[in-house]
Amino acid sequence: MTNKETILSFEDLEIQFTLRGQTLKAIRGVSLDVHRGESLAIVGESGSGKSVFTKSCMGLLDANGSITAGHIWYAGHDLAQYKTEKEWLTIRGREIAMVMQDPMTSLNPLKRIGDQITEAVVLHQGLKGVEAKAAAVKALEAVGIDDPERRYRQYPHEFSGGMRQRVVIAIAVACRPKILICDEPTTALDVTIQAQILDLIKRLQKKLELTTIYITHDLGVVANVADRIAVMYAGDIVEVGSCDEVFFDPRHPYTWALLSSLPQLGVKGEELYSIQGTPPNLFHEIKGDAFAFRNPKALNIDFVQRPPFFEVSPTHKARTWLLDPRAPRVEPPEHIRHLREIGGYANG
Amino acid sequence: MVKYICKRVLRAFVTLFIIISILFSLLRLMPIEGYFENFDKATEVEVQVKLQTLGLTDPLPKQLTRFFGQLLHGDLGTSNRYRQGVSINTILADKIPVSLRLGLMSFCISLAAGLFLGILMARSTRTRFKIGDKLGTVFIVIVQAVPAAVYHIVLQFAGSQGVINLKWLGVDWSLKLPMLFDASTPLSYVLPVISLSIGSTAYYAMWLRRYMVDEHNKDYVKLARAKGVPGGQISRKHVFRNAMIPLVQYIPGSILSTLMGSLYVESLYSVPGMGGLLVNAIQIKDNTLIQALVVIYAILSIAGLLLGDLLMALVDPRISLTGKEDAR
Repeated sequence: MTNKETILSFEDLEIQFTLRGQTLKAIRGVSLDVHRGESLAIVGESGSGKSVFTKSCMGLLDANGSITAGHIWYAGHDLAQYKTEKEWLTIRGREIAMVMQDPMTSLNPLKRIGDQITEAVVLHQGLKGVEAKAAAVKALEAVGIDDPERRYRQYPHEFSGGMRQRVVIAIAVACRPKILICDEPTTALDVTIQAQILDLIKRLQKKLELTTIYITHDLGVVANVADRIAVMYAGDIVEVGSCDEVFFDPRHPYTWALLSSLPQLGVKGEELYSIQGTPPNLFHEIKGDAFAFRNPKALNIDFVQRPPFFEVSPTHKARTWLLDPRAPRVEPPEHIRHLREIGGYANG
Repeated sequence: MVKYICKRVLRAFVTLFIIISILFSLLRLMPIEGYFENFDKATEVEVQVKLQTLGLTDPLPKQLTRFFGQLLHGDLGTSNRYRQGVSINTILADKIPVSLRLGLMSFCISLAAGLFLGILMARSTRTRFKIGDKLGTVFIVIVQAVPAAVYHIVLQFAGSQGVINLKWLGVDWSLKLPMLFDASTPLSYVLPVISLSIGSTAYYAMWLRRYMVDEHNKDYVKLARAKGVPGGQISRKHVFRNAMIPLVQYIPGSILSTLMGSLYVESLYSVPGMGGLLVNAIQIKDNTLIQALVVIYAILSIAGLLLGDLLMALVDPRISLTGKEDAR
């Protein structure tokens, strides 16, 4: 990435949810810059807050959740201050669009495919009638759906899962957004279709000069699509870097553990690696490094004080005390040092 | 489409044929005194003559064929006791319009009010205190839990005895609607129609609220929000429409059932409608009238189900009419 212009910037973002009178801190002070035209992947296990984090920049948090601190800067506006639907409607679809996880349920089963695309076209491109229809047909064509004129009149149940995901993507890009958030876009699809959908998104990204943010726990997808990776754990980003840096020179123990869990690294006949324990309960205040309790090599200070970000390179930083000059030298696990040779990456 | 409809109609006729055959055969077990105005005074010979003229001494299959023949000509027979010698068609022609008029009015009112209340409650579930939803739930629970007789009487009393008044404001006005029904006084329709509407209003509101809340939590609503559709438009074009689908099925049945009237409401307001006719016919053992009414009820129920299914097929594209459609 030569172009480092920031398009979307999260600054010390905190998000809380209220559940049965208790407060849950889902996002604990996250800062992250998204560069124009890049493809950023946010990885982490279920419940790490990656979905909540991205939903916050579209105002799509559930009713019991709210941004309690921090800023989300987009085009000179602080989205964290947006309250009314009217304000959010200037962003949703128009500036930032989203592709969701399950294409089987994310289309209205009782509306024609064409009407669902046209709805977005009418809202964001200001077209009407025949023009709107033409734009929708074009959008269908652009996502690789054959015979778009006929498909336009069909209902979602007449489409397969992969085709529906193409329709969802068509809806998203028909709004002409600047940023496309893909929330686990391939999780619900089978492997051959996954690759096609990822290729499609990559192609559209180039063609329409989109910035894409992928949310996923599938490292194969990440390796395939991402320029940069942000590793999220317990509502915090613990490591950010370019794809190469995070895969081949990971610094945070959680990133090590995550990479160790790659099934490609398993030895035949041996049990696959899995991270011991469970993520911390976000209802409680977290002290120190959130991963310390599951990290067998945790330092004493990990339990006491939250580590700051240490820069490894201008593009690579990690939130771990191991990078402090005073820290003892802890090497990443043996097997993930050979990731490059194994080649799980690149042909993902 | 045409093929599907034909198939369903044909099947409905087969079902009806079976039901009516069973009903007819069962009703032949009724005591024979139900065919006579004055059985006790009739001599043995008179009884035999009457039974023979009515064809009741014939073998059952023969009787059944004859009954279907009459039915196809729209002839339901003649009343023996309710109104002696009067054709049942005439009796029904007097009664059905009254029940139908009240029933259709209450159907329209309860559908409109029920849907309105349902939408209001569903929308209210997303507000902070959910006041609308809570009040609506109180109404629904009361209607469902309190025996209908109680709130009908309360309504009749409150509406007709001047309990609701403006005297405390110094205005000489009180609500005094006619207590009993009289076909020539339009105002006398008000209380019976409200009484008839309350139950189904609660029913529509309850189900619409439930389906709308269900629909609103679905992924396609999230996608619609994400693509920037305003909340009102989502409610109208996505949520409401989809939530209506399961309700649409019951609408033809509800309309047809207004023909049958309501036993309780009609007797409370002394409406000369269909409501009490069957009970009455059973009490006075008018066999032919019972038979005619039961057959009509069967036809209406089957027709209601059939029309409901056909309507569903029209409004829900997922119901495939041809059975085979390529899904790719």
